[in-house]
Amino acid sequence: MGETMNFKPLGDSALLISFREVIDEETNDRVHALAGAIEKAGFEWLVEVVPAYSSLAVIYDAKLIDFEGVRQAIERIEFSAEKFEGRLVEIPVLYGGEHGPDLEFVAEYNGLTPEEVIEIHSRPIYRVYFLGFLPGFAYLGGMDERIATPRLEKPRLKVPAGSVGIAGKQTGIYPLESPGGWRIIGRTPLRLFNPTRDPPTLLRPGDRVKFVPIDEEEFLSLSNRKI
Amino acid sequence: MIELLRVPSLLTVQDSGRSGYRKLGVPISGFMDDYSARIANYLVGNPGNAPLLEFLLTGPTLKFNASAVFAVAGDVDVKLNGAPVDPWTSYWAKRGDVLEVGVVKSGLYGYIAFAGGIKCEPLLGSCSTYAKAGLGKPLKAGDVLNLGYAILTGREGRRLPEELRPDYSAEEITVGVVLGLDLGHFTEEGVRTFLSEAYTITPESDRMGYRLDGRTIEHSEKGAGIVTGPLVPGTVQVPPNGKPIVMMRDAQTTGGYARIGVVTSAHLHRLAQMRPGFKVRFGEMSVEDARNELFKKEKTLEAIRLFLEGRLRAYRIKTEKMETIAFAGE
Repeated sequence: MGETMNFKPLGDSALLISFREVIDEETNDRVHALAGAIEKAGFEWLVEVVPAYSSLAVIYDAKLIDFEGVRQAIERIEFSAEKFEGRLVEIPVLYGGEHGPDLEFVAEYNGLTPEEVIEIHSRPIYRVYFLGFLPGFAYLGGMDERIATPRLEKPRLKVPAGSVGIAGKQTGIYPLESPGGWRIIGRTPLRLFNPTRDPPTLLRPGDRVKFVPIDEEEFLSLSNRKI
Repeated sequence: MIELLRVPSLLTVQDSGRSGYRKLGVPISGFMDDYSARIANYLVGNPGNAPLLEFLLTGPTLKFNASAVFAVAGDVDVKLNGAPVDPWTSYWAKRGDVLEVGVVKSGLYGYIAFAGGIKCEPLLGSCSTYAKAGLGKPLKAGDVLNLGYAILTGREGRRLPEELRPDYSAEEITVGVVLGLDLGHFTEEGVRTFLSEAYTITPESDRMGYRLDGRTIEHSEKGAGIVTGPLVPGTVQVPPNGKPIVMMRDAQTTGGYARIGVVTSAHLHRLAQMRPGFKVRFGEMSVEDARNELFKKEKTLEAIRLFLEGRLRAYRIKTEKMETIAFAGE
């Protein structure tokens, strides 16, 4: 499988391995399978691996090895993308109301009822392609295009942590309170990022995600749990 | 224990950074200028990666509630109980002493190290502050910091000779850059522009990234957008407006703009010390040469450490053309 791996220096202390420049599950499986194999190989020069959609960075200690050395070590690694399967994580979401102020808009924009939007959003099993942008932010794939909605023209200054939003054909969850232009359709009471826990994130690269609609009561009881 | 009396600008605890969590989206953070910060630590007898205080432009005023040995790294006026003392030198402070650190006269970031380091509960393996995610907070007046245990005797009175102090006064510098990432997203002319023009640091620059202004870098027909991929500090992204952004220590771990290259890691601290309005040029460097720069920097820092510990002598060498320092003997 070496013939489709492309190696490039990402500066003097990291190497970028790219597969085909596409967003698809098969390519992303290979990214995670290779990332896992590199982590397991026990290289003393390895600092960490950063996977993305169709590429991954291998960060190395340049005092111990050079670019060619890393490339050769990785070319020797055997890995199989077929066996790769992430965990399934259920994320409870209270849709609409004060926690999902844009649910009505998303429905109207797409000629649906709010109930239909919830049904369409919570039906698929999404894939965590990778984490980035913010600590704990998962790039999710698999949203039904029937609920695709453009971003807000004017981003909000403050979007609460846990907000579930839609931006174009993407859906995502804000792990931290931050400014943002996504259309917010609901909120999860779970903490996506907790700096005092290790690992600090609820989601990990390669996980699968299922949104589960909950009501106000469940939202409150989950919020009060120390998680 | 030290108490912060006045904190005029951004003041954070930093160490050499956080690793192992980038795949979860957590930036590495850590010293913006690892060269100065490590020397500050060596001056007080700490390992180079010990947690210390990093300040932006203006240093704090603080009070010692117990004896401590400290050193300030930066081109800055320092006063101990109102009397001037030198930066790049370690001093013994007694209980009740007040340390006042002024405004840096050149550069952007300064450091205050304490023997034993700042005591902290590491979060995700590091004491580096990344406030956005609740990993520490910027410090404010009234905050109290505990110091790690250290035998203070013998740690004071260490001094870095002036010739070895970094000079951050130049208004234009050239840093090395390793090309070759998303080169297909730029025209040949675009790459030429990037490697031949001087770019100005804009005020929209912080620990996350330095936004530069200057001649527009032309994208090819593939455009500025890429399938989102990994970033490391030093990565130069070029968004649709053609103005480069250099990722710094608090940068996000992935990004969606074409990466024209990555600043040589041994040079990144130098760029970090450039003020808004100053200019930077990018010189193409092979990955091997960039690695050699790293070795050179490490060798210098190691020699400085041994010199400050009294295990290496420094000689001033003067020729017609230059004056330099050489180290010898253990």
